[in-house]
Amino acid sequence: MRSRVSFPFSTIGTKILIAITGLAMFLFLIVHMAANLLLFVGPDVYNGYSHKLISNPLIYVAEAGLVLLFVVHVFNAVTNWAKNRGARPVGYTKKAWAGHTSRKTVASSTMIYTGVVIFVFTVLHLVTFKYGPWYETTHDGQTMRDLYTLVVEVFRQPAYVVGYTVVMALVFLHLRHGVSSAFQSLGWNHPRYNRLILGFGYLFAVLIGAGFALPPIWIYFTK
Amino acid sequence: MKLNLQVWRQAGPDATGRLVDYTARDIDPDMSFLEMLDVVNEDLIKKGEDPIAFDSDCREGICGTCGCMVNGIPHGPDRGATVCQLHMRRFKDGDTIVIEPWRARAFPVIKDLVVDRSALDRIIQAGGYTSVNVGAAPDANAIPVPKVDAEEAFEYAACIGCGACVAACKNASAVLFTSAKLSHLHLLPQGQVELSQRAVRMVEQMDAEGFGSCSNEGECEAVCPKGIRIEGIARMNRQFVQATFVARPERTAGGV
Amino acid sequence: MTLDAKIPSGPIEGKWDRHKFESKLVNPANRRRFTVLVVGTGLAGASAASALGELGYNVVAFCIHDSPRRAHSIAAQGGINASKNYRNDGDSVYRLFYDTVKGGDYRAREANVYRLAQVSSDIIDHCVAQGVPFAREYGGLLDNRSFGGAQVSRTFYARGQTGQQLLIGAYQSMMRQVDAGTVTLVPQREMLDLVVVDGAARGIVTRNLVTGEIERWAGHAVLLCTGGYGTAYYLSTNALNCNVTAAWRCHKRGALFANPCFTQIHPTCIPVSGDHQSKLTLMSESLRNDGRVWVPKKPGDARKPQEIPEAERDYYLERRYPSFGNLVPRDVASRAAKAVCDDGRGVGTTGLAVYLDFADAIHRLGEETIRNRYGNLFDMYKRITDEDPYKVPMRIYPAVHYTMGGLWVDYNLMSTIPGLHVLGEANFSDHGANRLGASALMQGLADGYFVIPYTLAHYLAGAALPPVSTDHAAFGEAVAGQQARIDRLLKVKGDQTARELHRALGHVLWDNVGMARNEAGLRKALAAIPGLRDEFWARISVPGDATNMNKNLEYAGRVADYLEFSELLALDALERRESCGGHFREEYQTPDNEALRDDVHFAHVAAWEFAGVGRPPVRHVEPLTFEYAKPSQRSYK
Ligand SMILES: Cc1cc2nc3c(=O)[nH]c(=O)nc-3n(C[C@H](O)[C@H](O)[C@H](O)COP(=O)(O)OP(=O)(O)OC[C@H]3O[C@@H](n4cnc5c(N)ncnc54)[C@H](O)[C@@H]3O)c2cc1C
Ligand code: HEM
Ligand code: HEM
Ligand code: SF4
Ligand code: F3S
Ligand code: FES
Repeated sequence: MRSRVSFPFSTIGTKILIAITGLAMFLFLIVHMAANLLLFVGPDVYNGYSHKLISNPLIYVAEAGLVLLFVVHVFNAVTNWAKNRGARPVGYTKKAWAGHTSRKTVASSTMIYTGVVIFVFTVLHLVTFKYGPWYETTHDGQTMRDLYTLVVEVFRQPAYVVGYTVVMALVFLHLRHGVSSAFQSLGWNHPRYNRLILGFGYLFAVLIGAGFALPPIWIYFTK
Repeated sequence: MKLNLQVWRQAGPDATGRLVDYTARDIDPDMSFLEMLDVVNEDLIKKGEDPIAFDSDCREGICGTCGCMVNGIPHGPDRGATVCQLHMRRFKDGDTIVIEPWRARAFPVIKDLVVDRSALDRIIQAGGYTSVNVGAAPDANAIPVPKVDAEEAFEYAACIGCGACVAACKNASAVLFTSAKLSHLHLLPQGQVELSQRAVRMVEQMDAEGFGSCSNEGECEAVCPKGIRIEGIARMNRQFVQATFVARPERTAGGV
Repeated sequence: MTLDAKIPSGPIEGKWDRHKFESKLVNPANRRRFTVLVVGTGLAGASAASALGELGYNVVAFCIHDSPRRAHSIAAQGGINASKNYRNDGDSVYRLFYDTVKGGDYRAREANVYRLAQVSSDIIDHCVAQGVPFAREYGGLLDNRSFGGAQVSRTFYARGQTGQQLLIGAYQSMMRQVDAGTVTLVPQREMLDLVVVDGAARGIVTRNLVTGEIERWAGHAVLLCTGGYGTAYYLSTNALNCNVTAAWRCHKRGALFANPCFTQIHPTCIPVSGDHQSKLTLMSESLRNDGRVWVPKKPGDARKPQEIPEAERDYYLERRYPSFGNLVPRDVASRAAKAVCDDGRGVGTTGLAVYLDFADAIHRLGEETIRNRYGNLFDMYKRITDEDPYKVPMRIYPAVHYTMGGLWVDYNLMSTIPGLHVLGEANFSDHGANRLGASALMQGLADGYFVIPYTLAHYLAGAALPPVSTDHAAFGEAVAGQQARIDRLLKVKGDQTARELHRALGHVLWDNVGMARNEAGLRKALAAIPGLRDEFWARISVPGDATNMNKNLEYAGRVADYLEFSELLALDALERRESCGGHFREEYQTPDNEALRDDVHFAHVAAWEFAGVGRPPVRHVEPLTFEYAKPSQRSYK
């Protein structure tokens, strides 16, 4: 049988790693997005939730996990992209969309670009928030980081709002192809459920994109 | 009809090629696309010029010999058809048609529109068969096969090995072709026996030939003249994972 | 020369078993020392290469195509016969044997046909084990249909793509042997000559179609599996690369060519639509199970088919052959179509077509049922003609489809050159004067999987075959000859294309050596062909050179061979002064226009010996005896 060591370096193994890490990050994003929606409920709830999260010692494990997912995803996605380009050294003068059942979309054709933007964004994003200014607040007698204020402060600036909204559009694109694609990569294709899978991927891409984009816009116009 | 053609001309594997303009005159809408090229070639031959090299044989969509890009789509715009089945009534008088060969590292150009697709044979060679010797087979009806399975296996067995899937894919991936063979054999009891080994060896060969991986764009399915579905690719991925992580390792007999 | 068919003695049922037992064997350890050159990878070639590879011979397999899977066998639609009797409808080895001999109009060798029927069951077993997805019933067992007018259901099929599936099965088995190292695959090669050393076939000369190089290959035996010569007629249902070249060059080296005039014209093809046409497309014979064939009663009736009332239609097959109706054998159906068109009652713009009408069947069974049965074929028809056969009747016309003639072989499939074995459509073997539907696939696979492994071993074990290297003078002579020929083709630089000359030859053959032949027409053809040949060599244009891929050069070479071969085709038709099967001589017919056989003078195989281009060849005869299937007048009334 095939050695498990070389599995990740096969075309299929690579894609399966991208899919697993992509899906895991997709789950993280759902949670993260849902948490962000707590901003609508109010400072106390949002800060309280964040505090519980940050103060849990397991968070370091989770963060390490996230970093690993991210690195594995990015590494494989980039090397895979480079190899794929090498598979067609001479391109076509004219290439058209095949139509019919093709799943090729703007989203699928720009995965590497949306991915790179997300990469850059994530670094900046962490600098802005995670390693950003440290405000404090007290709630129920507990002192905790006041992320709410930070978020509001950030999104009062139009440049951030515009920047984030654009990136969220790209996140939508990445996931619009990525989620259903990951199912296919992992072997989940069944004629009875394919429309469901494609619909699910699309729906969640929209939800995540919109769910993330909403708070900044809302903050900008109301706070 | 009169048509303007831009055809890729390349004298040999190492020569540099370019698009050359030709005019196809007196084209009858009932002609097939390749018959239109025949007409152009007749003209060239009469002028003592080298005719456009393109491959074809059955001219009815079953042998998989023909194939070229027609305005950016492998085998042209008709669904479920090879370029030899494409008819000129699909085009309008005065249209410009760009004709290029399949492009992939694993399909080097031999001349003009002819490419070397032997990589596909080597993928089959790496396990795309059942190991049964002549004379050893049991009675054909000894193993019943559910009709749905046989029909489904047929769907994949219908692949003609034309390489359009590779040509269409932005990654020049041969997964549709490879998975078609794996699915064909997997869906039949006769093919189950060597399933794991076959999946691993064929995928390894596919990789070794320099084909890309699959980004699940499904362009291959859309251009495949035989309607091979990407469901097969998903099945192949499952098989590959199970062959790597689940299947029992082979025991090698010690000593001689 | 006496032609010894080497038919084993004894009762027909035991001949093959006895022969197998009495044949010599090659020791397993010695097999790899024998190099077998297999030319062609269609059903016959691929099955032979895989079977011999499995046994351990050192096989080298050649084909013209870029992949062995593209051989013309891939195009076969209808099915493959086998005497399994899974239907319990009275089939048996004996019945398959009998039907095949009768279908061939008593011009096939009984012992060969019996063997074919015997191994037919094993073919199905083997193919199923290879994973050939034959049609099945809901119970999971194999489905059968009746085909080509047989009264039992013995045809196994895989939708309308049986040939494809069988070929892929054989191809995969062969690739398994390539993997195992017993078979070396050499695609993109055209065999140009046979090398005979000390009277035995010891090698071949090929042209590498990619580099243009002329190459030499030495071996202990050559298996020629290069298919039929239907494309001599220019338009046919055969693939464009089909050719007589390999067989013809062997003929020139001394192999006798048997019954070249036995060609099959298939009744249901899409008619010619114009001069530009490069090939004809077959519409599976199975369509005649539900379609009704008709033409208007009135000559020159230009109305649309829907506007012609029932009373003014002539369902001529049903009228002439009430018991078989639309299901009469191919030769009969084809001739009947020609007769009504000659009458001026043909339809379509050319007047060379008849209707195949599904209106009744659609009315009776519903469009859905018809779609399930023939959907693919209807789509194919629509794609080509732009007409919807669910609404208007199909137009069909006969076209050249198969060639029963081929190199003469004995019971061991060996030609008159020791060591040169000929398999599949390339030999003249088992179909007599007319092939029944679904029997060519059977024959190709029988030859390759089940016959040649025994008979080749017998030859190799019994012959003294001293080592021969490719430096041998015979190779040098063959290479020089081929090089000279190619140079000559390139040097003419005339103003005619190979296609134009091929088309011209096609017209001559179709008009004079087609569905109905007569002495005057045949003499006309015999007079015209040498003229065309001279024109070819004086006016052919082959641009480019021979040092890389040059498809036009390949094609010109094949047309040149057809221009020599066609003379033999016409001559054989002239000399066979009887009508039988696909060979219909107008002078020899019954009062109601059926073929009139002459068993007294022509119950034989005519095998021709080459005497030089343009020189009259020598006609040899192998008498045929019918001990079991007694000749009778075929009647489908
Ligand atoms: C449209 C169509 C439908 C048919 N349907 C049926 C059917 O339903 N049932 C049935 O029983 N029969 C059918 N037949 C007949 C049957 O398909 C063929 O007779 C049979 O497949 C021939 O097989 P083969 O192996 O002898 O030759 P082929 O399949 O023709 O193979 C010839 C091989 O020789 C190679 N070759 C040729 N010339 C050279 C050369 N000079 N040098 C090197 N290599 C060479 C080619 O590359 C190829 O590999 C059909 C035929 C046609 C045309
Ligand atoms: C939050 C972060 C991200 C998520 C949730 C995510 C999610 C996904 C998912 C689900 C897929 C589909 C996997 C498959 O088809 O099997 C995918 C593919 C891809 N991702 Fe990401 N991704 C993220 C970040 C990135 C980054 C940072 C990059 C690169 C720089 C990147 C590049 C790619 C590429 C190129 C693909 C396509 C691979 C292919 O099919 O060819 N992604 N991603
Ligand atoms: C408007 C949208 C977003 C808002 C308001 C937001 C807000 C935040 C905040 C406040 C933090 C800091 C949490 C902490 O330090 O504990 C954070 C962390 C993080 N965000 Fe976002 N985020 C948004 C979108 C995104 C997107 C689109 C991604 C990914 C592509 C992302 C990835 C992350 C990551 C990886 C962390 C670090 C988590 C950790 O280390 O625990 N965020 N985000
Ligand atoms: S999968 Fe389809 S496109 Fe690809 S080689 Fe097979 S038939 Fe051609
Ligand atoms: S087009 Fe290419 S990306 Fe995959 S689904 Fe088909 S191989
Ligand atoms: S020539 Fe055979 S598929 Fe087109």
